[in-house]
Amino acid sequence: MQVNTWHPSEDDLILHFYGEGHPGTEQRVDDHLRSCARCRESWTELSETLKLVDAARLPEAPSGFEHVIWARVEQALMRPIAPPRRPVWSFARLVPLTALAALIVAAVALAVMSQRQPVQQTVPALSTSASAPAAKPDHTRERVLLTALDSHFEQTELLLVELMNAPDGAGRSLDFERSTADDLVTTGRLYRATAEQTGHPQFAQMLEDLEPVLVEVARSPKKIDKQEFKSLRTRIDDEGLLFKVRAVGTEIRERKQDLNAVIMSEGGL
Amino acid sequence: MQLDDAAAVAQARGGDEEAFRVLVERHSRSIYRLAYRMTGRPEDAEDVVQETFVRAYRQLGRFEARSNFATWLYRIGFNCAIDYMRARPHRESVETHETLERLTPGSDGPSIDDLVYAGEIGTRVQEALNALSVQERAAFLMRHYHGCSIEEICGALDLKTNAAKHSIFRAVKKMRVALKPLMEARTLGSKMEVS
Repeated sequence: MQVNTWHPSEDDLILHFYGEGHPGTEQRVDDHLRSCARCRESWTELSETLKLVDAARLPEAPSGFEHVIWARVEQALMRPIAPPRRPVWSFARLVPLTALAALIVAAVALAVMSQRQPVQQTVPALSTSASAPAAKPDHTRERVLLTALDSHFEQTELLLVELMNAPDGAGRSLDFERSTADDLVTTGRLYRATAEQTGHPQFAQMLEDLEPVLVEVARSPKKIDKQEFKSLRTRIDDEGLLFKVRAVGTEIRERKQDLNAVIMSEGGL
Repeated sequence: MQLDDAAAVAQARGGDEEAFRVLVERHSRSIYRLAYRMTGRPEDAEDVVQETFVRAYRQLGRFEARSNFATWLYRIGFNCAIDYMRARPHRESVETHETLERLTPGSDGPSIDDLVYAGEIGTRVQEALNALSVQERAAFLMRHYHGCSIEEICGALDLKTNAAKHSIFRAVKKMRVALKPLMEARTLGSKMEVS
């Protein structure tokens, strides 16, 4: 009697599962599996594991994902060369922060001015040529606000990305994140008031939605433990904040482009 | 009437932005799934989806009309995901280490009760995928979920046949080890149901 000394290796079984084995070997493996209980057990375990992989469900992309991606792709294609991504806390990011501070002052000043001159706000968009110059400051004001909000949401996005991607080892120091979140809470409140006054309730709402998480980061202990960090990330994830911030950022940039076109058509500022 | 892929590609090549929008909106969810499996993070997956379509647009001239657009796009998607992850090696290594620790048989794993809901299987499988190297993950996903042949994987990942095969072998072996506790829990659950 001939003793069967050949057994397929694990690699042979993997190729067999995917139908990628050599034609001669495929038949040989099939025949062998019928007669060898040990190899059959190994084969069953392998194929059950790979079937389990199929059973895994994936989280679906959020609703409206297609439109947000299109907006991002369209915007990226308009840039001739995508700027390299910089680390969140690089020196290069501190320079725009100075500009941001100036924009905050401008936005607040404009908000205060608008409260003192309520009559100007009611000027209809479509009016006689004599009233046209009065409409220009509204564009300026909106552009200042949009520019400030664009930077604000970009900083927020970077902070959230940093938090979501940082290693969550025990006793992690959140010094940078805490101070940035604190700044974002302060500026966010100012922008929220301005956005409400200038007829941008959706941006005001987004800033309101972000505030509790930013406050949580700003008030977190110097060394956050693993569980607290996980809970913070879960909150960011569950509320879809990162996605919302990106979506609102896209909307702001689109509005800015539209506004620039209007300003250009009016002869620029 | 909705444009089919071939017509949309032809029009997009001629500079029709609207035609390209149709392609982006039609395929963005399937690319998201691929990107999510590769990166394991929703926010990274979104970045990969964006970059995939940007690259696809810039490479439309190289697309061969007789090819399948979805397959061509998957190929770009995998390469974008690989580049994306290689640009962030620190994150990959941290995750791999932690995931492997968590998944090692004998470590404190979830109870059977924890595993009853299907979502948990997804989480565990994703964690097991995250523990693979970028090349192993790409080769395995292309073979397992997208039915790509070894030859197609070699072409997409610029690998020799043996290297592609070995990436799949290593990936499957690691998946078996990582998912062993889940398999054992399932087997135990089935036995308890029978008795």
